[in-house]
Amino acid sequence: MVTLEKNIKSVKDVLTSQDIIVFKFDSLNGRKFAVIYADGLADKQLLGELVVKPLKDAEKDAELGTVKKLLASPEIKDGTKISDAIKEISDGNAALFVDGEKDFIIIGLKNPPGRTVAEPPTQVVVKGPREGFTEDIKTNLGLVRKRLKSENLKVKMLKAGKKSETAVALVYIDGVCPDGLPERVEKQIEKNEIDIIPDSSYVAHFISKKPRSLFKRNGTSEKPDIFCAKICEGRVGLIVDGSPISLTVPYMITEDLQSGEDYYSLTYRATIVRILRVLSLLVGIFLPALYVSAQLFKIQIIPFQLLLKISSSVSGLPLSPSVEMFLTLFILEVLIEASIRMPNYVGLAMSVVGALVLGDTAVKAGIISTPAIIIVAFSAICLYTTPDLVETTTALRWIYLIVAGSIGPFGVVLLTAFILCYLVTEQSYGIPLMAPFAPLIKNDLYDSMVKANMYTLKNRPKVFKTKDRVRLKTQSGE
Amino acid sequence: MKAKLKRWTPFLYILIIIAMLALFFTNDFGLLDIHKTSLIVAVGIDTDGEEVQVTAQVAVPQPSQSGDSINYVEVQGSGLTVADALNEINVKTGTYPRLLFCKLILLGEACQNEELFRMLGCFYRRNYSELTALVAMCKGKAQDMLALPANIAPENSTAIQKVLSEELKKSANVSTANLKSVAETNYSVNGACYMPFVEANVQGTSQNGGNGDNVGGESGGQEGQGGGQQGGSGGEQGGQGGGSGQGESGGQSSGQQGGQSAGQSSKQEGRQMEFTARKTAVFSDGKFAGILDEQQSFALNILKNEIRLAVVPCDADGIHYTVGLKSTSSKEKLKIVDGVPELTLSFSAQAQIQGARIVLEPESVMSDDTVREGILKATEDEIRSRLESLVTTCVETDCDVIGVKGLLHKFNYKYYEAFKDDILSRMKVNYDIKIVSLN
Amino acid sequence: MGMKISVRQICFILIMYTAVSKFIVYPTVLSHYSGRDLLFSALADFAVQAVIVWAVSFLCSRTDKTFFALLEGTFGNITARIIFGLFALFFIVCAVIPLFEQKVYVHAIFYDALPALSVFLPFFGFAVYAAAKGFQNIGRCADICLPIFIVSMLFIFAMSISEIKWDNFLPVLKTPAKNVLGASVLTAFRFFEPCWLLMFMGHFKYKKGDAAKITLSYAGGALIVLLFLAAFYGMYGDMAVTRQFAVSKISLFFPAIDLIGRIDLIALYVLEIVMLFAMIINVQLCVYCISKCTGYKNKTVISIALNAALIIMLILLDNKLSALITIWSKWMWIAFVLFANVIPLLAWTLRRREKK
Repeated sequence: MVTLEKNIKSVKDVLTSQDIIVFKFDSLNGRKFAVIYADGLADKQLLGELVVKPLKDAEKDAELGTVKKLLASPEIKDGTKISDAIKEISDGNAALFVDGEKDFIIIGLKNPPGRTVAEPPTQVVVKGPREGFTEDIKTNLGLVRKRLKSENLKVKMLKAGKKSETAVALVYIDGVCPDGLPERVEKQIEKNEIDIIPDSSYVAHFISKKPRSLFKRNGTSEKPDIFCAKICEGRVGLIVDGSPISLTVPYMITEDLQSGEDYYSLTYRATIVRILRVLSLLVGIFLPALYVSAQLFKIQIIPFQLLLKISSSVSGLPLSPSVEMFLTLFILEVLIEASIRMPNYVGLAMSVVGALVLGDTAVKAGIISTPAIIIVAFSAICLYTTPDLVETTTALRWIYLIVAGSIGPFGVVLLTAFILCYLVTEQSYGIPLMAPFAPLIKNDLYDSMVKANMYTLKNRPKVFKTKDRVRLKTQSGE
Repeated sequence: MKAKLKRWTPFLYILIIIAMLALFFTNDFGLLDIHKTSLIVAVGIDTDGEEVQVTAQVAVPQPSQSGDSINYVEVQGSGLTVADALNEINVKTGTYPRLLFCKLILLGEACQNEELFRMLGCFYRRNYSELTALVAMCKGKAQDMLALPANIAPENSTAIQKVLSEELKKSANVSTANLKSVAETNYSVNGACYMPFVEANVQGTSQNGGNGDNVGGESGGQEGQGGGQQGGSGGEQGGQGGGSGQGESGGQSSGQQGGQSAGQSSKQEGRQMEFTARKTAVFSDGKFAGILDEQQSFALNILKNEIRLAVVPCDADGIHYTVGLKSTSSKEKLKIVDGVPELTLSFSAQAQIQGARIVLEPESVMSDDTVREGILKATEDEIRSRLESLVTTCVETDCDVIGVKGLLHKFNYKYYEAFKDDILSRMKVNYDIKIVSLN
Repeated sequence: MGMKISVRQICFILIMYTAVSKFIVYPTVLSHYSGRDLLFSALADFAVQAVIVWAVSFLCSRTDKTFFALLEGTFGNITARIIFGLFALFFIVCAVIPLFEQKVYVHAIFYDALPALSVFLPFFGFAVYAAAKGFQNIGRCADICLPIFIVSMLFIFAMSISEIKWDNFLPVLKTPAKNVLGASVLTAFRFFEPCWLLMFMGHFKYKKGDAAKITLSYAGGALIVLLFLAAFYGMYGDMAVTRQFAVSKISLFFPAIDLIGRIDLIALYVLEIVMLFAMIINVQLCVYCISKCTGYKNKTVISIALNAALIIMLILLDNKLSALITIWSKWMWIAFVLFANVIPLLAWTLRRREKK
């Protein structure tokens, strides 16, 4: 006969922390029970209502099978090994031990502290759904399920992180997603053993075949509508517990030039905005570099009247054009970094210091010229038109600046050719990063730089080679 | 091997990064630093027969937050060639020997005695400057002309460029030329080229004496006279002016002196100058052939340029009218008829009265919208006389600015060898001028 | 690295790379030899090449084998390797003049002052990387270059169109035929596109009508060159012989340039990307040939060695472009006729032998 105390001891021997609560109670007929759960992770209110109350009220002595019937909780499973109980308790669920029974019951009461569903700060939209993923995987899966009610929606739960055992949901639509792709992604995650997965960016690293590359290999989204749309195109999605950022693979660079809102607004407007984004991106990366190389190597690029103004502004500056731009860009990066990290209450002071002291005074003191500040500021604004690429583009801006200041405009062109040459052969799970431009896929161009109307986008992207190609069927005669 | 390469890759990257940063901060990789560059905006060329004097107008940016503080200074250099002189300027200004922003090349009057491409040749070599730079000849010394205070722009090279603008070209007032057009026409079978002739007048003084500046030996006396008039008016303080004709060398040199002294004295007095370029200097086989007066220049311009609106004065029924010509089209056609080359100069336009030297009732102003036959005829006559004058000058100076030899070469190639040397004197000229009322 | 290329990509290569490789010195040289009849000289060369391009692409419709496999099947492995070794040498020869031209062009349009030779050397870093890539990379680069090429060419042509004087071409065909055809022969070393096709053979899936597509693409490239030559000569007339780096000269007279600066330079810089890829293709094919000839699979090593050789050549023969052009036009044209014209035509006999 296994005593209740023996079971409790087995658990407490492993989970020695004081936040592991053991709650013992008796039923009306005197049968003893013990619920073990992690304080703060399990929902105590549900525990009381769905587990403790029905058992306390039980008048008849019962074996484990009858106890299960008495429980009002919808998420119940049997447990036999103490190690399973430990795992589940750590995960936020509760283990119910019954006196005299060797086996136990796992009750799903997981309710870790977290945010409610809110508009994601990184993907704000004017038109369109405002719901965003939270840090809770269950909530996130719920948001996905809410949008995709198909029976073909497959969710495969994986664990990542040796110590954290973080839940990772691999989401795809059977019949749409290319064969073998989910397995490849799963294998890639399983290949890597790490202590802890604090965020989906760790998983992003693992699923990327070239983690050292400057260019990412997976799409990211904080919005369930975008996540679902990508899955419906044939991609595999990954939701990581503890992270509001979902991942999708395969990835193409054009994805990040698109915004969810493009699909909710007029197609013409969407096309114009997409072209604007591409132009802004190019301006953001190249403008500081071109400005420096024009001043140092090819002043003819600058219109004469503007050149006179620039000459006048930079005349007497103690720094060379390249160092001046380097310094200005450096100040900008520092300000961005500080404004993110700094507590809100110093934020205002920070703005004053940044804008007035560093900007205005530096110009007045003749250390930095006005055109340099204008160019750096404009470049920064331009890059944030494509926030998903901002990590790559800011790095590229630095590289281009250094190349422009050392080799000149030819260096800028050469580096561009090099990057293009590199990108055209790079792939994300067999899909070229530069698709649908290289290789050129005519049909997919309708949702790349341009956004065609819905009737033109009847098929899923050809590049994914999905089994079910048709996305939209229309009634004939309409 | 591949593994070895991979092992070396990080070191290679580090090496590249260090090299790039070193280059970035040391800044010496064939650069042309904006801090160390002088911006030459215009060049004036003079010669004394032996040496060439070049004056460069240099924009010198002054430190300013708003970026609008520019000083303009003139720097001189001399040498046996223009390149020598420019080199001396480079030594003085620290300019890299390329004139990237030079928009104006002004030839002094003394350059008339020299081979044109001795003066301009270096601008065509090895991308020294852009071929879009405007070229003009000026009265007096180019050095003085560039030093004159201008009234319509902060620096006079811009003021001169304004009077050589494309807009004026479209009104047939100026024979605007750039380095490309000069070389293109000179090295074509025509062997002739032209450029505007710039004159400076003290602000508020009217220019005259234009008609007296006709080219040709016969009218030498007249030229001297006319030139004298102009010299007098161009520089009131200048005393005796001179013509720019070939006929009288005395007139020429005195004209030069007149222009020069006019400039100097006006500068001394700080009076602002206005520039005009209604006359045209013509060259044949790279040598100066003469100066076309305003009427001849007008005739040349309506043949060579696309005219949007030209203004012609004419007298009809004893009244002076100013007629505006729109929708113009011109054509030069050469045919060989019975062994005689026949040049037909066609010009057609729609006329509209722009002004009349009488007081009119409002009703008649309205009715003037339809131009009377008499006025149209008078306009045609005026244009014909201008074209005749141009052709006569071309024949007399053997300067084919109209491009007759080009027409012979392009459209009548089989007669080219037979007529190429003396076509100007052998050709018969027909004028086909049609002016119709705009309404 | 993938060795597959598509017909579409081959078409793009023939349209763009044929054109851009002839934009720098070729128009000036042609103006020098045949004056206003330069279009006829160019046309003669292009017509001959188009026939050979058609012949090679038609051959592709008859066999799925690569050129190497065809040679191997007919003459045996050793001979095939030797022939590929010779082709490797030929591709180096093809790469030399464009490389030297690029160097002087880069110095002229990217720098106001005369820069050191070393500013061009980073190009070889790119060359080492790109040359080690396979045909898949060549094809995809062509895909990505097409919009760049179209936009920049439209920009340049639009800026030049108003200055073109068509009567500069008159009188037509009055230049002695000897000069016109002589110019075709003297510039024959700039035509090697059929060899590219020969190397791509068997690496793409031929479908019905592809031979026509490929030939028409080449004709398209030729048409762009002819239009460019027309624009250049139409703009400068007899002065064309003095204007080097033709592509950088034809948009100079656009009226807005005075106001907004040399925006044509931006178009030229963008076009330079296509020019770099066009220049690198000979080096890429050379690496491919060496790899086939030696059987050595590590293309990175071959690419490093080859580019090192090119750097040494560039340093030793710096400022010798005119001499090189003279040597190439007077002597090398025989090699070009042999490798770019005769051997591609002879490839037909390989197939016949193979059939037997």
